[in-house]
Amino acid sequence: MDGVDLGIEPGCIFGLLGPNGAGKTTTLEMIEGLRRPDSGSITYGDHDLVRSPAVARERFGVQLQTSAFFELLRVDETIDLFASFYRHTLSAETLIERFELGEKRKAYVQNLSGGQRQRLAVAVALVNDPEVVFLDEPTAGLDPQARRNVWDSVRQLRAEGRTVVLTTHYMDEAEALCDQLAVMDHGRVLDEGQPQELIERRQPGAFIEVAAEVPITGDLRLPGLERVTHEGPKTVLMTQRLDETLGALAEWAKQEGVPLTGLATRTATLEDVFLQLTGRSLRD
Amino acid sequence: MRQLFKVTGALLRTLVRNRQALFWTFFFPVMLMVVFGFLGNSNFKLNLLVTGPRSGPEARIVQAYEKIPYFKVQRADRKSALHLVRIGQADAALLLPPASSPPPWHATLVYNSANLQTAQQAVSAVTSAAAEINLAMTGQHPYLVVKSEAASGSRSSTYLDFLLPGVLALMAMQNSLFGVAGSLTRWKEKGVLRRFLATPLRPVQFLGGVVLYQLVFGILSAALIVAIAVAFLHATVVLPLLPLLITVVVGMAAFLAIGFVIAGFAKTEEASMPIINVVSFPMMFLSGVFFPVTSLPPFLRSIVHVLPLTYLVDGVRGLMSGQYAAWAPNVQSDILALLGWFVLLAIVSTRTWRWE
Repeated sequence: MDGVDLGIEPGCIFGLLGPNGAGKTTTLEMIEGLRRPDSGSITYGDHDLVRSPAVARERFGVQLQTSAFFELLRVDETIDLFASFYRHTLSAETLIERFELGEKRKAYVQNLSGGQRQRLAVAVALVNDPEVVFLDEPTAGLDPQARRNVWDSVRQLRAEGRTVVLTTHYMDEAEALCDQLAVMDHGRVLDEGQPQELIERRQPGAFIEVAAEVPITGDLRLPGLERVTHEGPKTVLMTQRLDETLGALAEWAKQEGVPLTGLATRTATLEDVFLQLTGRSLRD
Repeated sequence: MRQLFKVTGALLRTLVRNRQALFWTFFFPVMLMVVFGFLGNSNFKLNLLVTGPRSGPEARIVQAYEKIPYFKVQRADRKSALHLVRIGQADAALLLPPASSPPPWHATLVYNSANLQTAQQAVSAVTSAAAEINLAMTGQHPYLVVKSEAASGSRSSTYLDFLLPGVLALMAMQNSLFGVAGSLTRWKEKGVLRRFLATPLRPVQFLGGVVLYQLVFGILSAALIVAIAVAFLHATVVLPLLPLLITVVVGMAAFLAIGFVIAGFAKTEEASMPIINVVSFPMMFLSGVFFPVTSLPPFLRSIVHVLPLTYLVDGVRGLMSGQYAAWAPNVQSDILALLGWFVLLAIVSTRTWRWE
């Protein structure tokens, strides 16, 4: 970690983005009281969490990236076991109902599906009725239905006035869900802000994706055009002034005799921002 | 303490549900006792072939041998008797001369020297029986009669009685090693430990719960094995409960500490298995579980003598055979030695232990 400085507002959904190995999980673990930072400070209200990590463990709810429980314990027993560690708790029945685990109440953990395991992990994270909930990649490996289900749960947590801190690899998820974002890489925060704000600041323009019978090469001079990239057979034009560039592009195609077979425009997404910030080189 | 008991309770529940693991936990010791107990309990009889006529004074000699329960006497002609001894089908052949001449008759005992122990038994048993027969036949009064009896306090014991305490000690070792090193590395690997660490449950409460669970399981399974051995296999043992319990618990504590040391080293469950085997195999075969340590060559004996399983086997066997009184010096020194191992390994494990 290298000088991470984050402020998380109460009552919001805060997303931590970054490639594998960026330091997201390590950051969460330090806040959760699982790992001691070498230097620096973590405060929660008036509490110094570096000096008293027990406060974090008592008051926060945690779903780890690999939340594993005893395989041969039943769902309700697992929730009860974790409830027994806290002073203030929600009832197992409430949590089972809320996360639609009623049918699986008496099932062993080993017999749960991926989505059910994830719901159990989030249910256990809520067992102490926490003010702050940490979800480390809550939707990794889930099917689209289960993902939407987790999103709904996360929004409900915010509606109840809880603060949610989550990490994710899915940019659409971060864009749809998070109020605040921080993009991390190599143990540093590269940028932070609201999703829309980040996009407008980092990728203010729009993209024009052009498909043509022959690849568009050579010098293309169009008003507002900033950058030309090739993605397979498609040419992607990045522009600051979509309308002017589009008109000029049609004109140019006619003049040059290059028949366009496809044209699509889109505004920048969080994924564009993410790739711009963290680069395209592969991570482990 | 409440949280610690909760962890123990949860683990005991998962244990009861793991039918397959339970089955193998008990199958191996019970099989050992059934197989070896059966071998040890079969009444040994010497197969003795006798040649000679079926009537006359020789017949009375044969009858005299037949009356001694130690022998299983069969008649055979000289040629086949020699053949059967040579190929090992019979233990010895007593060749009686024809009764034409007056006594003393010179009989020849033929044995197979390939099986030296049986041969020696055959020679001494047949000659001492001959002495008795001489007295009976000539009608003389014996000058010296020796009656043998067990020393007061010692009981007749079968191999099963010898084996049962060894099996209990072996189980204490295996359950503790596999239970702690195996499951802790698995939980470490899968993230179970981290999830517990993220709660107010203190690490020492979690580990305490695991240790308590191992002790409860160890004591219950030892009790069950003793019950099976006594009820179904007719083992005869004495059970001074308190000293026995303390010896077994201290022994398990030493092995749990070894388990923690291994769980500290090993990063995965797969990696922990060979280490457990390297530690447990030599003790399993050398520490006196199956045969007394005194039968080992002297240079090995001095090494084996200090191994934890040796102390545990000695203490448990001494107590269960009635050889050691409840708090005899031997029991005390076994307990102290096991405590020493426990303290040493517990210190090592605090150095090697890693939560991830």
